[in-house]
Amino acid sequence: MIRLQSVTKRYGGVRAVDDVSLCLGGGQYHGLLGPNGSGKSTVLRLVLGITRPTDGTVSVSPTTLGCGFQQPNVYPDLSVRENLDVFASLVGADDDDWREHVVETLRLDRALERRAGDLSGGFARKLDLALALLRRPEVLLLDEPLAALDDVSKARLIRFLREYNEQGNTIVVATHRVTAFESDLDRATVMHRGEIVFDRPVEAIDLEGCDSLQEYYVERLLAREGVR
Amino acid sequence: MSLGPLLRKELHWSRRNALLLAFLLLLLPVFFAGTSVLFQDVLPRNVPVAVVAEDDDVTDQELALVADTIDSYTDPTVVDDEAEAARQLERESVHGIVGLPAGLSDENASVTVTWTIDGSIVPFQSPSEVIGSLMQAHLELLFDADVDVDRQVEGDLADLPEYLFPTLLMTVAIFFAFTYVPYLLRRERAVLDRLRVESSLEALVAAKLLSLTALLLAPVLVFHAAAWHYDYAVASLDAGALFVLLLTSFFLSTVSATVTVLARFGAAGTFVNLVLMLGLLALSALVFPLGFFSTLRATIAGLLPTHYAMVVVRSLVLKDVSLATYLDFVGMLVGFTLLALVGLKLSLVRYRRTS
Repeated sequence: MIRLQSVTKRYGGVRAVDDVSLCLGGGQYHGLLGPNGSGKSTVLRLVLGITRPTDGTVSVSPTTLGCGFQQPNVYPDLSVRENLDVFASLVGADDDDWREHVVETLRLDRALERRAGDLSGGFARKLDLALALLRRPEVLLLDEPLAALDDVSKARLIRFLREYNEQGNTIVVATHRVTAFESDLDRATVMHRGEIVFDRPVEAIDLEGCDSLQEYYVERLLAREGVR
Repeated sequence: MSLGPLLRKELHWSRRNALLLAFLLLLLPVFFAGTSVLFQDVLPRNVPVAVVAEDDDVTDQELALVADTIDSYTDPTVVDDEAEAARQLERESVHGIVGLPAGLSDENASVTVTWTIDGSIVPFQSPSEVIGSLMQAHLELLFDADVDVDRQVEGDLADLPEYLFPTLLMTVAIFFAFTYVPYLLRRERAVLDRLRVESSLEALVAAKLLSLTALLLAPVLVFHAAAWHYDYAVASLDAGALFVLLLTSFFLSTVSATVTVLARFGAAGTFVNLVLMLGLLALSALVFPLGFFSTLRATIAGLLPTHYAMVVVRSLVLKDVSLATYLDFVGMLVGFTLLALVGLKLSLVRYRRTS
């Protein structure tokens, strides 16, 4: 399990994350929702240990983490295959069948020899996701995973993530557009200006007349800002 | 033609990059204008020389008299024994040895003062002839004996291309460390977050430094091929020289990596590394030995590990000497390298804390 207890992260005078307590794991499909600048990416960076909390604690019990970043983290000078080789070696991922499955699912097979720096935004995103999945992590953290993907690729990825979650793996998706994941999420945490607005199982959320979770959380945030 | 808006854009850009421009257009010129005062002499006037007795009958007074006499065009030091003087010549601590025989004060004697220089220090070959002539004239006036100054060369006489060979190799190492190493580290920025999850910054930088230091063997081989082609009398693959060259490259790469990390892999680090490189190239006395420079500049060079690395590499490539002669220099280089590694570690800790 991953626990954040009263975590605050300040960058200078800005509170990117403000007194956040959160529990992630247990094979849940977790949506971390909120508008731009709400603190979603910072929460992921705290969990990954890339940044340290100013106050509070982040504890990650022994588990394997994989992360798809908002800006694809790939070696631009290496080919797609070389990127996969380097990171597979780095994380000790030696399951070639799994790697092939990921590459095939993400339709990366026809770009294997291309230089990563020359890839389109969509292919760079796919490569970043492939690197996140290489060692078959028990907890998969994804920051805006659908950005730059075409509709077919989105559908394939959503289906793939659903199956991956059904295999008992935890998925945490940080996004401002929840519609695509809405039917799959077990739990939703909505953030706004670094704070948690609500955090509860999706089935326990009363949409209060809204048609979707997307509409409901946007309405909640608008109300919070005093916009009706 | 939309020149006006584009010029306004340049103004906006300049305002946004005021610090960088201040560095390039103010600080850098101040640095170079300032270093111009360090270049004061065209001909060497402070050449360190050892004055040593070649015979037990030479008196301390005679040694002191000779030192005083040649003080106007050299920087003499009376040395107790010939072996120590020879050691200092090997280490470029002195560029010549004045050896005094017995009988200088005997008006009936005809004596020969030896003026020994190192054959590998090519820039000193011509000045040493002038200094020898001056010494001849002055010592004849000073002593009762008939004095002759005999200029002798220790080791083989190198020529200028051979002399410049290790200097150019060191220049390549310095250039590589302050340009390619930070460039490659900056290229890692695109993937830093993932690397920090899957590995560590320390492992990343260590792998980079080790692989790039090993890559320096390529220019060494190129130089070796050139030496073979031109038939230079240089030991271009001397194990000790290679060790010191690679150690120096590793040290300088560690420094440039530290600067890059402190600058958070940004452009500022590139400019700081550029200034460090130019400073080291200008102030380490790589081409001319220390004796050719003003006291201030010689003092600065004496503080730079690259100067000592240059002395060791040059000596091992050009002379038949052992690395053991320079153990203190090598020890100093190892010490600086360890300090640089500590600095690098601290810069990585700071980077993590401020991420």
